Amino acid sequence: MADMKIGAYICKGCGIAERLDTKSLVSVATRDGKAAIGREHDFLCNADGVAMIQQDIDGEGVNRVVIVGCSRRAKTEAFSFEGVTLSRANLREGVIWVRPDTDEARETTQEMAEDYVRMACAEAKFLKVPESSGEQGLLRRIMVVGGGVSGMTAALEAAKAGYEVVLVEKAGQLGGVAAQMYKRVPAKNGRQGPVDPEVEKMVHAIESLPSIKVHLNTTVAKTSGAPGRFKVELATESGSSSEAEVGAIVQATGFVPYDINKLPELGGGKSPDVVDQLGFEMLAKAANGGPIKRPSDGKEVGNVVFVQCAGQRSEAPGHLPYCSGHCCTTSIKQAMYVKAAGGDATVLFDDLRTPGATGEDFYRAGQEAGVTFSKGQVSSVEVAGGEVKVSFKDLILNEEAVDNADMVVLATGMVPMSGPDPYLMLDLESARGQNDTARVADLEAQLEGGFPSVLNLDYRQGTDVPHLKHGFTDSHFICFPYESRRTGVYTAGPVRRPMDMAQAMEDATGAALKAIQACENAALGRAAHPRSGDLSFPKFRMEGCTQCKRCTVECPFGAINEDEKRYPLFNEARCRRCGTCMGACPVRVISFENYSVETVGQQLKAVDMPDEFSEKPRLLVLACENDAYPALDMAGMTHQEYSAYVRVIPVRCLGSVNTIWITDALNSGYDGVMLMGCQKGDNYQCHFVKGSEMAHYRMSKIDDTLSQLNLEKERVQTFEVSITDIERIPKIINDMAELIGQIGMSPFKF
Amino acid sequence: MSEVIATNQTILVVGGGISGLTAALEAAECGKQVILLEKSPTVGGRVAQLYKYFPKLCFPTCGLEIQYRRLKANKNIRLLTLAEVTQVTGSEGDYDVTVALSPRYVTENCTACGDCEKAVAAEFDDEHNYGLKQRKGAYLPSMMAYPQRYVIDPRIIGTADAEAAKGACKAGAVDLDMQAQSLNLKVGAIIWATGWTPYDAAKIQPYGYDRFANVITNVEFERMLDPFGPTGGKIVRPSDGQAPSNIAFIQCAGSRDRNHLLHCSRICCMATLKQTNYVRENLGDAAKSTVYYIDIRAIDRIDDFHRKVKADANVSFTKSKVANIAENKANGNLVLHGVDTEGYNRYANEHDLVVLAVGMESTVPAGVFPEGFKINEHNFIELDPANGAIYGAGCSSDALDVNRAAQNATASALRAIQVINRVAGQEG
Amino acid sequence: MTQMNQAMIEKYRSSFLKEVETNVEEGHWVKMCMQCGVCSGSCPLGPHWEHPPQEIFMMIRANKRDEVLKSSSMWFCTSCYNCIARCPRGLPITHIMHGLASYSKKLGLAPKSQPTESFGQIFWNSIASNGRVNELKIGLALQFKDGFGQGVKNAMAQKDLGMAMMKTKRMNPMEFFGGHTCKDKSGIARMLKKAQEVEDQHIANYGAGK
Repeated sequence: MADMKIGAYICKGCGIAERLDTKSLVSVATRDGKAAIGREHDFLCNADGVAMIQQDIDGEGVNRVVIVGCSRRAKTEAFSFEGVTLSRANLREGVIWVRPDTDEARETTQEMAEDYVRMACAEAKFLKVPESSGEQGLLRRIMVVGGGVSGMTAALEAAKAGYEVVLVEKAGQLGGVAAQMYKRVPAKNGRQGPVDPEVEKMVHAIESLPSIKVHLNTTVAKTSGAPGRFKVELATESGSSSEAEVGAIVQATGFVPYDINKLPELGGGKSPDVVDQLGFEMLAKAANGGPIKRPSDGKEVGNVVFVQCAGQRSEAPGHLPYCSGHCCTTSIKQAMYVKAAGGDATVLFDDLRTPGATGEDFYRAGQEAGVTFSKGQVSSVEVAGGEVKVSFKDLILNEEAVDNADMVVLATGMVPMSGPDPYLMLDLESARGQNDTARVADLEAQLEGGFPSVLNLDYRQGTDVPHLKHGFTDSHFICFPYESRRTGVYTAGPVRRPMDMAQAMEDATGAALKAIQACENAALGRAAHPRSGDLSFPKFRMEGCTQCKRCTVECPFGAINEDEKRYPLFNEARCRRCGTCMGACPVRVISFENYSVETVGQQLKAVDMPDEFSEKPRLLVLACENDAYPALDMAGMTHQEYSAYVRVIPVRCLGSVNTIWITDALNSGYDGVMLMGCQKGDNYQCHFVKGSEMAHYRMSKIDDTLSQLNLEKERVQTFEVSITDIERIPKIINDMAELIGQIGMSPFKF
Repeated sequence: MSEVIATNQTILVVGGGISGLTAALEAAECGKQVILLEKSPTVGGRVAQLYKYFPKLCFPTCGLEIQYRRLKANKNIRLLTLAEVTQVTGSEGDYDVTVALSPRYVTENCTACGDCEKAVAAEFDDEHNYGLKQRKGAYLPSMMAYPQRYVIDPRIIGTADAEAAKGACKAGAVDLDMQAQSLNLKVGAIIWATGWTPYDAAKIQPYGYDRFANVITNVEFERMLDPFGPTGGKIVRPSDGQAPSNIAFIQCAGSRDRNHLLHCSRICCMATLKQTNYVRENLGDAAKSTVYYIDIRAIDRIDDFHRKVKADANVSFTKSKVANIAENKANGNLVLHGVDTEGYNRYANEHDLVVLAVGMESTVPAGVFPEGFKINEHNFIELDPANGAIYGAGCSSDALDVNRAAQNATASALRAIQVINRVAGQEG
Repeated sequence: MTQMNQAMIEKYRSSFLKEVETNVEEGHWVKMCMQCGVCSGSCPLGPHWEHPPQEIFMMIRANKRDEVLKSSSMWFCTSCYNCIARCPRGLPITHIMHGLASYSKKLGLAPKSQPTESFGQIFWNSIASNGRVNELKIGLALQFKDGFGQGVKNAMAQKDLGMAMMKTKRMNPMEFFGGHTCKDKSGIARMLKKAQEVEDQHIANYGAGK
């Protein structure tokens, strides 16, 4: 960028001019902030104000714009200038709306505003307009791993959008579980009853599309690279291998049914006439509409009992704690097969779960077909004399009952075919390294019975997509089901969470979109969700690096590998721009063009620090821009009052907070530092997964620094807050101000 | 208003709730041109009126903040609020859409400073709070409203209040002469995501929602928890403002019922489980919750939330569709009559607050779509070749929770993109 | 136990539900119940039922033939239609209850001396033979249904009511001697016979799943 030229624009609207001396703010900007141009305007955000700024950009060569007015979250459409950096000093929501309009408050309120002007100008000096790195070109090809219905759907839908697809299937044919089905539960109009799964139709569609390349009997031996430039090595069963380049990956590796042999109390493994749903489906497929013959003796089944929630929704050891979602409608479907062939079918359930319009319609269709539904708790399934005796408690009639059936179908759950959890693997590796035998044994037990790696990612942080819970790879976020922890890799179908076929197809279509989006983003060097569109990415200064590996270990997205010399190797397109690496780096060699140790560090240093005897302490708040900062804005909108001694700096994520900022703040005389981030732990709300947790961890280590400086440890505190803590955050701030009043001013003021 | 440019390579998304926002953003972040229409003055939809999401008990505002930031940052999306589709004609890749734009009476110059609100006297039912609270005739629909711009209620136009609002606005943003407009858009594909409305509880006659003060709906209960809502974040009985100690939640209030909505609304079971959690958080051991249900549909991996609630000693479950409710005139309590079907136990249970878990009613309109367009008997738009490139998303496609709605909206975005890419391919 | 009952037991050995579907008016609806219990809760006489409708439906599915058919429960139905109005699945519960009662009577399983059953029979006898209801005779028959001595006691207990009705011309003592009939008694008989055929066909259709 050409020579830096700061233009600072002070808005007088929305009561700012009535409450503050804006003339003085202009001089603060030009004198302290070194702004080349400082102007006031009555309503900066209106067309005239915006034109004034644009004129300075075009005519005066202003390339660092500082808007002094409302919050950075307000009037974003107006303050959107091309080719320049933008800093915002928040005097409305952050100053005049949180301060009382009284004579005695006037001085401290003005000081607050002046500091924010200084801070915005300081930031402006260190901001750069991010430029795309051009790390990769546009590659309109995705890989889909898994050739079941989810995988085939993802492949077909991506192909329909004009993308090439590399479809990898472990087995010798496409179709997965669905290929073994006689019929399926319909995706719409549940009244129609079971319908053809149309798997052959899908397989045919795939085979007839030249843009989909199918690899059967194939697994993924290695995946390296990043979105837009993944390099995958495919290995066939016969030992041959090939390579492919893809822009993004959809993992649709599906599920296996829970092992029925683990349920002897329900007759599992005791008789060939006690089967799981997939087993019964195959019998139905063999019968092809005729009477279903039971495995033990080929007798046509007259009475079949379906036992729901077999080994699932249960905390018992070895059982699945979740509900697999599809089993109620699957049992209804299979019971309808029995009814159609002239037999009787009873479904014993706890809660019949057929949600939505289609689900409830399908339930009614099952009832209309004559399937009997009983709310019952099965105590045992015993095989004797050619019959399977199901003992259960009829919960409606409140009595013990027995049903003698020809066959029993256990509705067991779905076990996701995800690869090993990478973090468990890494833990295991480190436990082995430390010879921690107890930990090794524990981790090995957790990993036992799992599936081999699916993607073999050549990532510093393990070979596969991280698990969320119970082996599923689902996103943790309710509003963002595809917010994956491995950018450009999206899982779909029952590997992600338990689901039925209709939902798996929807899910796969959505995942295909995300894969396509990942390719398009990578080509432009654009960040994916949640910092969508951000063109900045971590810049790394190798000279200073001590190879401590904190950045490679702490990146929540596995974006950083290590090269042969054990230096961090950044993969831009995997990066989500949270800045956790920047926060982790003890030698501060990682930065973004528009967010760096300097852009924040210089802001906090720009504050005018009153001396120890002024009785004007200074509190620094580093607030997560996603939740804490909006909450502070809304505190302003609702005129919650908080201390005038506070100076707030928004950060991308608490994970990006480098401890140097804390040290700098304390050294420059701040009396207290508050970090405000999102909820951490199992129910984390941090959009960058681990950021908030990392910050808490790092701050727990700050006590040493504090004691070296001979400062009380209460001076630095970390808080978990929510975007709705509109009343709580001002209270936290005020409590902190009060606390500082008690423990006294910092001695580090100059 | 600046000109709205649309071509048959544009995707039209109708509805700015969580589904519409998701569909629009996902498509736009693939590089597509999107026009997003919202009928009300702000995007956010139903989820903006929720206190927390199940099963994580996190705040919807948090996700909306991210969506709004994506929206602000994306130049591919053109958002029009107070815009309603009145007619769609044409076919895949080539639709003509007529849009009615209602006047906001406030221009882009608005800074959301709030001066007009202070100047206006007239008050109306606050839509954001389901009418449980009043708002001014000049108002910001909610703190999180986006666009962050005030609205003048058309009912004050022509009154002194309107002039007062105009006079108070230093930014000159009030334009009382703003007129309703009609807009014609040419688009290639349409994602219909107009969402749902809570089923009208007054239609469930035996439950007395329209007669008994202390019978409320689940969506109203959500608003009570908002610290800035009608009760300041407190759970209270509407009749006397007292904290309840014995709350009944009635499931399937209007759902799974041929007298009302035939479909299962999917979300209400989880919503109730979540709300029992609010009761625990707010009132501790001072209040008990009883859930009257037919089946608890806490499907898939969120069943652990169900188990957690079941383990709460203050929450009990009764398998019963409540037959009717009578009011105890002496104390405003409600007596629920029915039969616990597990073992046939007849009850007449007195509760001091009743929350009806009302279901989702689809808002897909009649008479808007091209001839032959298929809407199912539940008023949802299913995936059907007969519907060309008009795709239902979120709760316009089935009764869905937020997670599934977002998933479905993402899938819908791809379907629309497929059409646009085909059109682009043909046009070269 | 009647012959018909025995025949039915043998025919539907395994499934009472099927028997109900095939032989009971509106019996094919029983399978549609989802056990919400709103019918049982809505019934104004509910507390007096041994087994409320929703429970009866479950009992039918659980093959509890005797317990259902010998139950007095469905005889309590007063046809208020509350259950039908509220049933979320649209089951014609009132009709099913009457159908079950009628079927149990047909099989000779209806509880003896069940007042509703007795009243129904007396009412039917009166209307089927004369084409009109002879209120006096019905009243007397009901009062004396449990023997002469009890009948006198019943009559004495209600004599004031009887006198008042006579005074206000609500009851005519002359009805005791024959009373009024309709003009075409044989036509009535033919009509009832036809109605029986229609009903039988109706049930047969349901049973055959038409």
